[in-house]
Amino acid sequence: MAATPSKSRVKPSPPAPQTPASGPRRSLRLSSTPRTPVHCYDPSSPRKSAKKSKRSLLKTPAFCPITPNLPESKRRRRSGPDSNPSKKKIYFKRVVFDGVGFEIGDAVYVKRREDAESDGDEPEVEECRICFEVGNFVMVECDDCLGGFHLGCLKPPLKKVPEGDWICGYCEARKMGKVVELPKPPAWKKIKRTAKEKLLSSDLWAARIESLWKEPDGTYWLRCRWYMIPEETAAGRQPHNLRRELYRTNDTANIEMDSVIRHCFVMNPKDFFEANDEGDDVFYCEYEYDVHWHSFKRISEIDNSEECDEGAGNDDEWKLSKDSDSQTDEDSEKEEDTAQGTSYRKYQTHQLAANSRRGRIFGLQRIGAKRIPEHVRCHKQTELERAKAMLVLAILPKSLPCRTKEMEEITAFVKGAICDDQCLGRCLYIHGVPGTGKTMSVLSVMRNLSSEVEAGTMRPYSFIEINGLKLASPENIYKVVYEALSGHRVGWKKALHHLNERFSEGIKVGRQENQPCVLLLDELDLLLTRNQSVLYNVFDWPTRPHSKLVIIGIANTMNLPEKLLPRISSRMGIQRLCFGPYNYQQLQEIILTRLEGIDAFEEQAIEFASRKVAAMSGDARRALEICRRAADLADYRQKQLSSCTKVTSPDSSAGKCLVGMADVESAIQEVFQAPHIRIMKTSSRLSKILLVSMVHELYKSGLSEITFDKLAATVSSLCSSNREDIPGWDTLLKVGCKLGECRIILCEEGTKHKLQKLQLNFPSDDVAFALKDCPEVPWLSKYL
Amino acid sequence: MPVSKIPSFSSGSELGSAVVNDLEIAGRCQGSSTNWKRSRSQSALKSSIKSVPSPAKRIALRRCSNAIVDSKGEQCCDDSNGEPRVVPSSKTLREERSSDPCFQRSTWNPRDPAQIQAVKEALHVASAPDNIVCREDEQKSILDFCKACIEQDKSGSLYVCGCPGTGKSLSVKKVKELLVLWAKEAGFQAPEVLSINCTLLTKASEIFSKVIEKLHPHLKNNSCSPLQDLQKLYSQKRQLSSGKMMMIIVDEMDYLRTRDHQVLHDLFMLSTLPYSQCILIGIANTIDLADRFLPRVESLNCKPNVVTYCAYSKDQILKIIQQRLIVLGYDIFEPIALEFCARKVAAASGDMRKALDVCRSAIEVFEAELRLATNKEELKIVRFDHMDIALSRAFKPLIVDTIQSLPQHQQIILCSVVKFFWQCKKNATTIGELNRSYSEICKGNHIPPVGMLEFTNMCRALSDQGLLNVGQAKEIKQKRVTLKIDGSDVIFALKEIRFFNNCLEFLNK
Repeated sequence: MAATPSKSRVKPSPPAPQTPASGPRRSLRLSSTPRTPVHCYDPSSPRKSAKKSKRSLLKTPAFCPITPNLPESKRRRRSGPDSNPSKKKIYFKRVVFDGVGFEIGDAVYVKRREDAESDGDEPEVEECRICFEVGNFVMVECDDCLGGFHLGCLKPPLKKVPEGDWICGYCEARKMGKVVELPKPPAWKKIKRTAKEKLLSSDLWAARIESLWKEPDGTYWLRCRWYMIPEETAAGRQPHNLRRELYRTNDTANIEMDSVIRHCFVMNPKDFFEANDEGDDVFYCEYEYDVHWHSFKRISEIDNSEECDEGAGNDDEWKLSKDSDSQTDEDSEKEEDTAQGTSYRKYQTHQLAANSRRGRIFGLQRIGAKRIPEHVRCHKQTELERAKAMLVLAILPKSLPCRTKEMEEITAFVKGAICDDQCLGRCLYIHGVPGTGKTMSVLSVMRNLSSEVEAGTMRPYSFIEINGLKLASPENIYKVVYEALSGHRVGWKKALHHLNERFSEGIKVGRQENQPCVLLLDELDLLLTRNQSVLYNVFDWPTRPHSKLVIIGIANTMNLPEKLLPRISSRMGIQRLCFGPYNYQQLQEIILTRLEGIDAFEEQAIEFASRKVAAMSGDARRALEICRRAADLADYRQKQLSSCTKVTSPDSSAGKCLVGMADVESAIQEVFQAPHIRIMKTSSRLSKILLVSMVHELYKSGLSEITFDKLAATVSSLCSSNREDIPGWDTLLKVGCKLGECRIILCEEGTKHKLQKLQLNFPSDDVAFALKDCPEVPWLSKYL
Repeated sequence: MPVSKIPSFSSGSELGSAVVNDLEIAGRCQGSSTNWKRSRSQSALKSSIKSVPSPAKRIALRRCSNAIVDSKGEQCCDDSNGEPRVVPSSKTLREERSSDPCFQRSTWNPRDPAQIQAVKEALHVASAPDNIVCREDEQKSILDFCKACIEQDKSGSLYVCGCPGTGKSLSVKKVKELLVLWAKEAGFQAPEVLSINCTLLTKASEIFSKVIEKLHPHLKNNSCSPLQDLQKLYSQKRQLSSGKMMMIIVDEMDYLRTRDHQVLHDLFMLSTLPYSQCILIGIANTIDLADRFLPRVESLNCKPNVVTYCAYSKDQILKIIQQRLIVLGYDIFEPIALEFCARKVAAASGDMRKALDVCRSAIEVFEAELRLATNKEELKIVRFDHMDIALSRAFKPLIVDTIQSLPQHQQIILCSVVKFFWQCKKNATTIGELNRSYSEICKGNHIPPVGMLEFTNMCRALSDQGLLNVGQAKEIKQKRVTLKIDGSDVIFALKEIRFFNNCLEFLNK
């Protein structure tokens, strides 16, 4: 931070003035003020910077390794490092670290990880662009190139800072179309870049502090929300962007205090235009940028709804609270604390201190992470409840068993295509019945690879995931792909045109160099159009020389390539991967890994469920659903039990209930048994009699169809022989109509009431099963 | 015949016998030897008619002659014992190869990722070779046609057809470049070239606006359609027009098909207009596109010339792969492995893309083995067995394995289908009937049958896997079910499962 000893940084050949992005701009402010230096012993003290708050002034006096004590110490409530080292995180509103106070809501510079060793030499003061001296004179800032100029060095020299916009002579000349010779720095002089310049050339990052805490091990951490420079957004720098404009993002990260450099000032438009002489570290921020959807929102609109928005999709926080139940109590406890930061210097910067994932979207982290509502946090979860939570389909398990071979193959496929310098286009077709983990495996492979990219062992690539079901029409795939590659939203025809240029001629899309691109097409069969041109185009791209496109297609049908036109299947290649249905051991393993450490199920119960599912479909989703339902039932049973026995022994019953075979059995019944049995069981007395007489007639005659006329006769004979009231025809007709509406029986179309033919829609065995032991009308079993 | 052509092989017969062993193994691995033999005899015939056009192809030709020796060798030493001597045979081949000055090559180091990468790149579909082998005749006829058009300053249309992966687009693209070069040399004005892939058009008639855009980029005429503009342009004598020929290459032409075939018709008619200056080259798969859809053009006696691209034969595939690999300067594949690949692909489809894919997949198999292998000396070349694995991945249907790994109830369904068809001597049924037959089997084995809903789901899963075919109907029960695979396959697969022993008893009656 401020106290780091500054050594002059050697830059290979920095272009002296930053050339601005072209485009008209409004002028913002005058950035120079005569100011008296604060530190008298600093020969080259800041002239240009005039910060409002005093604390930011004590910046790196060049030879002073220790920051003097600061006036803000009076503002802290408690001083000294935390006296009782607790095992919990302690949250603070304000931390004085290395002598500089950081508060929630402050904006700071954060160093990039790769720059970790070369930090600490940001000159506080900018040099004049002409004389390359710091000097103790008034400087004026060009509104175009942001270069600083001494008033005296200008030609003609200015007496005072001009009102309104001021553009330096070089920029003016450049605008006129002249070739501008910028003054060269003296050879011996090493150009230092200010933190602002570094930030704007994305060598540094800016972030807003969202929360501060101290880890149990004594390190200070902060949760920061990143700022982005316009170049880093998907849209790139637009003409209307100001030079000092930043975007607030919705991307946050936890970083260690060590990677924070110093304060900067990010202001809303109003403050920014009022700020006249705030120094060099002033930035303008009007919009929030959504890194996932590449959309911009005015901050003033968001901040109103911030409270509910906060943490809505915030799985980190949730995970933390999951780790230790008791920790949540501490959340509210906010303290102020001061740490003698220098003593914490010995801690290594955390591996991910400066998050390298900022601005890049993989979009995979948040598969169905569910936030547990507050009231759940309050009470301790029972084993059953935890089991239920783990069995929810949306939960992403920690490990994916039983698909290691397939995942290895996918990894090898993607790596083989991307790792090389020349990315060769390829296609892989993955097929398998539903619920066999196709999409999940691919996504988890991509997640692993993205962490490899982060670690630097792999080339960066872009990953686009498209689900055919989510597209309004197959053609929209062009739109989605183009938007993911370039950030622009255009119509599909235009997108197709651009994509074709990109893939077949290698024309750049968007700002940066064309990265290899992995395209995951889920539910591929839905992209089939009548003339199959969408699939043709998509699969034609990887065969082009410059495409750098890798396609992974997923569908259920094994023979989709054969169904396609031969020219498409020829382009699709021969690489196939089959995800077979799970067998019962695999299903069992899947359930057991999810329930690791939770003692809620009997061993046989799981085996029973997995055997049952494996025999029918081998669908893991089914198996999980059945287990969850069984846990539900067991939970319900237990709660009823405990409510009865609460008075006697509330403790012994809690947490001691295991999901048994009976629960699984009834869950399976619910899932697999069709609802018609239930309907028959709960239907009225007369409709039961009617159904039984239909079955009876069926047995007698062997014909599946019966006329209503005949059925009525049978019903009345059954009723009379069992001393029931004989129903009238209209009642019987009404009952028959109701059964027909439920589709328990099929009625012949038409109006011939008497001779209308009726037919059972379900096998007679089902009727027999449903009505065999009916307590209401016991005599029915005679006829079944 | 060309045995005399290979004096460099010191021991021809030994080589032959070694190769024969491989072939026999191949036959055994593959299981369908009849197909194999037929294709071989054909290719032997074809390879005897050969010309020696360019020095670049000399080595490839030698390799081909090698293949002929193989087939000959089999005839003479058919009784040689069938020991699997795959590895030694490759070694002898390689040794001889290296002793021959003609085949003096550096050895391939498969552990070098850069070299592997180079090989993969050479085999990739996108990396087109500079000169196209095996398509010289077709290419020449297209080029001649274009040259004639330009020389006589008249329009013309040409239709190129052939199966996918036979190099149509590639060679037309080549012709395009050659033609521009030729025009420059011969002093003609180089034609404007417009190549369009019709799948990229959003509407069939958009093609005309593309043409007119290319022809007159600044023409702004909103009064009439692009087609009318073009027709006007080509039907009146105009000094204004640049006099440049226009070459329009229309790839995947059948995407221009509309209901009344008007677009296709108009497009071909463009070249018949009196002052037309366009050379139209259409590319598509269907062989009779012009005959079927352009009767009117035909009646005007302006039927386009047709150039047909046949599927590649085994020798051509071999030659193309070798040509792609020859620049690398080292042996990657065992010759026998390459030939096996070429034969298989030629027999299946003659699709070059497939052949290249198979080769790459064989390299991947080889790589995987390399990673496992500890001894460095063992693996130096992609062997026959690697290629065999790759080919079986590409072509071998895995019906038996699929059936055996199905969930039990789905197996029962398949069993009941076969049983039903066997008993009723039918080959189609409905889901309702099938469910009855299925329930019978379940009851016979004391298994609770699943409900109708679940049953339908399972039928759909089976049809997804290409085992059943479930038709469309309003009522679920009325959906037509047919078996998509051979019933005997199902029986074969199920026989190995103990559960089905008594279900399949009906076969013995």
